[in-house]
Amino acid sequence: MSVATLLLLAVVGLAFDLGRIYIARNEAQVFTDAASLAAAKSLDNPETQGQRLEAARAAVARMPNRWNLGTQSFKGVVVEFSADGLHWDKSPEDAAAVQFSRVSAPMNEVEITFLRAVGGPDFFTVPAHSVAETGPVRLVE
Amino acid sequence: MSRLLLTSRGRCSARKGSAMIELALSAGVMLAFLGGTFQFGYTFYAYNQLVTAVGNGARYAAMRTYRSATPEDIEKGREAIRNMVVYGDSKPDPGAVPVVANLKPQQVQVEWTPGEHGAPNAVTVSISHFAIDAVFTQFDFGGRPSVEFPYVGNYAPAESER
Repeated sequence: MSVATLLLLAVVGLAFDLGRIYIARNEAQVFTDAASLAAAKSLDNPETQGQRLEAARAAVARMPNRWNLGTQSFKGVVVEFSADGLHWDKSPEDAAAVQFSRVSAPMNEVEITFLRAVGGPDFFTVPAHSVAETGPVRLVE
Repeated sequence: MSRLLLTSRGRCSARKGSAMIELALSAGVMLAFLGGTFQFGYTFYAYNQLVTAVGNGARYAAMRTYRSATPEDIEKGREAIRNMVVYGDSKPDPGAVPVVANLKPQQVQVEWTPGEHGAPNAVTVSISHFAIDAVFTQFDFGGRPSVEFPYVGNYAPAESER
């Protein structure tokens, strides 16, 4: 009986918890895609050339996209910049040389409901990141 | 001897009876579990497909040239974005199958946020009035999923705006 209950919980957990994890992963990816494009667009804006990095960070903070079935806003979002797409810095000294923006959403913790009863974790983190380039603005990763 | 045999037969049929009752009770619980698992599993699967479709459509909308010469041009653009969400193609074949069962282009909302100089600043793509049919019940997510992308495409204004 207890073996059957564990098996049942495992099957329910696979359907319920894995389903939510995949949705969260997708939502996070869509968010970082949109946010990195918003940051790159701000970097490209001639009106904000004096404060390129601040404008890019503000554009990411304004993104309304949500996760966890569209109910929660993203927290702990990291915005980084690069001149060559290889070396990343949150606050590069030469802001005028920045050509790439990378947005990461590393703290999306999906609460596990059923799989934890059969030895699964309490939370599962689904991070996502995207890279966008300026001039012309486009997604590169 | 015959009395012993009779008693033993009686116990056996009593055991069979209680096993039947146990099966009936546990089968009810099991079927409810299986039904619930299917419902949530299928609903999450379909919602995941919707998130992917809306994300792809919004990405396309963000990069597509925005033509605003006439209201028909704007509507044509909206139609192409709706088709991209529903069929994964801006110009689908007549017999194209939607990426999510029963999803129709009319259920996809496309709104541009106007920016300065007439060009859109952002585009929002969302699903409305669509319920995921999970056989035993229907789930309506009320305007979700909804995705906003910054507009980064080319802007083709009307003659009067040039």
